[in-house]
Amino acid sequence: MNSRTWMVVSLLITCLVAAFALSQVYSVTKPKIEQQKADATRSALSQALPAAQTFKEVEQDSLWYGLDAAGAKVGIVVRSGARGYGGPVPVLIALDLTGRISGIKVEDLKETPGLGLKAREDWFARQFLGLDSTVSLKKEAGTIDAISGATITSRAAASGVAQTIRKYSEHLKP
Amino acid sequence: MTSKKPSRLGFLVNPIVRENAVLILMIGLCPVLATSTSARDALGMSAAASFVLIFSNVVVALVRKFVQPTIRIPIFIIIISTFVTIIDYVLQAYQPSLYQVLGVFVPLIVVNCIILGRAEAFAYGHGVFDSFLDGLGNSLGFTLVLVVLGSLREFFAVGTVFGYVVTPAWYRSAPMLFMIFPPGAFLLIGILKALVAKFKLDKR
Repeated sequence: MNSRTWMVVSLLITCLVAAFALSQVYSVTKPKIEQQKADATRSALSQALPAAQTFKEVEQDSLWYGLDAAGAKVGIVVRSGARGYGGPVPVLIALDLTGRISGIKVEDLKETPGLGLKAREDWFARQFLGLDSTVSLKKEAGTIDAISGATITSRAAASGVAQTIRKYSEHLKP
Repeated sequence: MTSKKPSRLGFLVNPIVRENAVLILMIGLCPVLATSTSARDALGMSAAASFVLIFSNVVVALVRKFVQPTIRIPIFIIIISTFVTIIDYVLQAYQPSLYQVLGVFVPLIVVNCIILGRAEAFAYGHGVFDSFLDGLGNSLGFTLVLVVLGSLREFFAVGTVFGYVVTPAWYRSAPMLFMIFPPGAFLLIGILKALVAKFKLDKR
């Protein structure tokens, strides 16, 4: 085999071996990865809406109906993702049937550590409980204390929550 | 310390401090600055990069006789990216919380200059065992800098190290927050580099 042919063949062999190895690793880890994702969503959902026994996914990754043991709707869970400082600020919001926030969980956040990342702390999320789609920051005549030094993140969380509630309000009917 | 003739021990020990890729050669700075915001993230990043570095070194050394110089770079990149994809899947499957923290920096290990640099400068011309030692040594050197930097930044900016509280409450209420931002990273890597020069750690 001359060197030019070998150049092509050796590259081909490398690619084939790499592709085979990756397909093996992929098939082993794929069920695990899906399991992890389902577990994470599932535990986030039940944290946000503890009253529900089961969850029915209505819109993929953004709207779930929470059902009690008898199958009656006790609330809905929606996910908002308004733009923050370092990407979307994903928030899971649980609403009871009157449209008030009964549970809230800030999910994997990519904000600045020490500032925007504080939105994950409990005191920030707790301020939202019991509010409805009129939620906004104190600066904007609302009731939410912004995180000091992280107004953009706080505003993204508050306005994202308000918008999302309005968007899904028709799903609140029992 | 005089080692004119390269010894096996030298392959392992030299890259840790005297030929440290980050502090002496100043390569691989990008992931070091980006993922050293806390000691735990730094350690996770080091572990992922070390896995890729050691295995790519070993595999490059294994196949080097069959790789023509003209196409060595594409082949190295395929080998490296294969291991990066493997560690990416494995982290997602078994360490999802660490994967979330490291995020985009796991796929970016592909372009970590240290890994391609060692494949090119060392593994392509040395045996499998020597390349393994070189990969291990460089991994330890990378880990050392990353964890030191991560601990310092976490210490100054948050007042903790590896999540443990090590500063009084008055400090934690008003810490040096800028240390967690890029300027803090540049400042500290500059100080580390100055210390290396001061104590002549880079002299053979």
